[in-house]
Amino acid sequence: MADASWIGCAKSLKGVVLDMCGVLYDSGEGDGVVIPGSVEAVKRLRASDLKLRFCTNETQATREKFVDKLQRLGFDISVPEVFSPPPAVVAVLKERSLRPHLLVYDGVLPEFDFVDKTNPNCVVIGDAAENFSYQNMNEAFRVLIGLEKPVLFSLGQGKYYKETDGLKLDVGVYMKALEYACDLKAEVIGKPSPVFFQSVLNDMGLQPYEALMIGDDLVNDVGGAQHCGMKGVQVRTGKYRLSDESHPTVTADGTVDNLAQAVDMILNQRGH
Amino acid sequence: MVSNMAGRRALKAVLIDLSGTVHVEDAAVPGAQDALNKLRQASIAVKFVTNTTKESKRELLERLQRLNFDLQDKEIFTSLSAARSLLEQKQHRPLLLLEDSALEDFTGIDTSEPNAVVIGLAPDHFNYQTLNKAFRMVLDGAPLIAIHKARYYKRKDGLALGPGPFVTGLEYATDCKATVVGKPEKTFFTQALSDLGCSPSEAVMIGDDARDDVGGAQNAGMLGILVRTGKYREGDENKINPPPHLICDSFSHAVEHILKNLL
Repeated sequence: MADASWIGCAKSLKGVVLDMCGVLYDSGEGDGVVIPGSVEAVKRLRASDLKLRFCTNETQATREKFVDKLQRLGFDISVPEVFSPPPAVVAVLKERSLRPHLLVYDGVLPEFDFVDKTNPNCVVIGDAAENFSYQNMNEAFRVLIGLEKPVLFSLGQGKYYKETDGLKLDVGVYMKALEYACDLKAEVIGKPSPVFFQSVLNDMGLQPYEALMIGDDLVNDVGGAQHCGMKGVQVRTGKYRLSDESHPTVTADGTVDNLAQAVDMILNQRGH
Repeated sequence: MVSNMAGRRALKAVLIDLSGTVHVEDAAVPGAQDALNKLRQASIAVKFVTNTTKESKRELLERLQRLNFDLQDKEIFTSLSAARSLLEQKQHRPLLLLEDSALEDFTGIDTSEPNAVVIGLAPDHFNYQTLNKAFRMVLDGAPLIAIHKARYYKRKDGLALGPGPFVTGLEYATDCKATVVGKPEKTFFTQALSDLGCSPSEAVMIGDDARDDVGGAQNAGMLGILVRTGKYREGDENKINPPPHLICDSFSHAVEHILKNLL
């Protein structure tokens, strides 16, 4: 039985922000696997009067490729509704005239096509998966240790995520490794950075208290949204673990079995 | 010279660091062999203690014997030995993320169906797949044991990442703390003394690293003597509080002090 105290806010809600991996689908071989009920749930949200956006720390593909995949899985989603870290970091690089050394997944490289990468003066790391080899980590380390003022951007700071064949280390682990090696603090682009959530709220034209975030990552989705003034609900799918419900620093406004149940509860409360 | 504030105590054992204290790369520190012989003539136990993640005891012994030091295999205690005793004590079956050269120090340890992770400097194992495997084990409750947490080290082709960054990453991923077994951990020193039948207050440590050798030993209840050889830099003694029991120019001066004042 789901804890229902959070649902009181459903009536005054104007928008919902959904995390993607672990909420809509589990990633893995090929396109991954749809989490049962999620395609329907997105459809029902779209048919309601709530605004809908998607917010992901996915950094293995360009947004276009990523949205293609979700459409193949049956989701009704378009590129402008999806917020991901690569376009955000490209904007920051431009603004600060920085030339990155990239340690990212091959699939996301096209997002950086028009960025000057010669003679790098910062490092950008994303979820590079198999590209997180000792050699590639060493190269990133040497760029940083050779800079007078080393700058490290991390596209998210997730600890791990779930693929169909098990849990996998996320970019945050490698961010921490480089932080420790170089004695520096990375700048996180993406969830849980308040700047990132705010850009989604701006796009919806909503105040934080008018929006609800639904995600499987307690710290980055739920905690990040709450930090920004939004409500945060965790689903028991994806990387969810029982211990999340007694986390020392983050308490979700609600915990539900899956996205379908969350959407049911919200829409019922609103009298749909 | 700092005076002998601790007064006389019944000294039973001397722990001696290797690299930088009795030898620097392939050369002995002048006078070190003779000093060791003098120490052996007094009735006092000797043990050589070092942080290594890739050199086995055999390799260390062979190098020292080439340099004409008189010692035996059982007198060497390394961070790898410390990991081994911890595994034996807790009856863990480890996944060993170590370079091949270090594996011989774990001969006889059951590594089937591993339920603990031991991590040293192992570039060949620091790939995504192997780290994922280690991560999943630790997340499921396997203890994470680190040989040490050095940030980086110097290689012929430049600086290279040490085990520390990867240990730190796994700690972050799993919300757990690694058990570090090498110097300057207290347990390292107590384990090194355990088969000598003496307590820390009856032992002295000689080394060139103020934090790892002297600070660590003193924190464990031993006396610490800092030598001005190896990696020693002017002012290193100020890095630790309380300061070293004594600072000496070299290992042979440290031995002279022990023979004259601590027995």
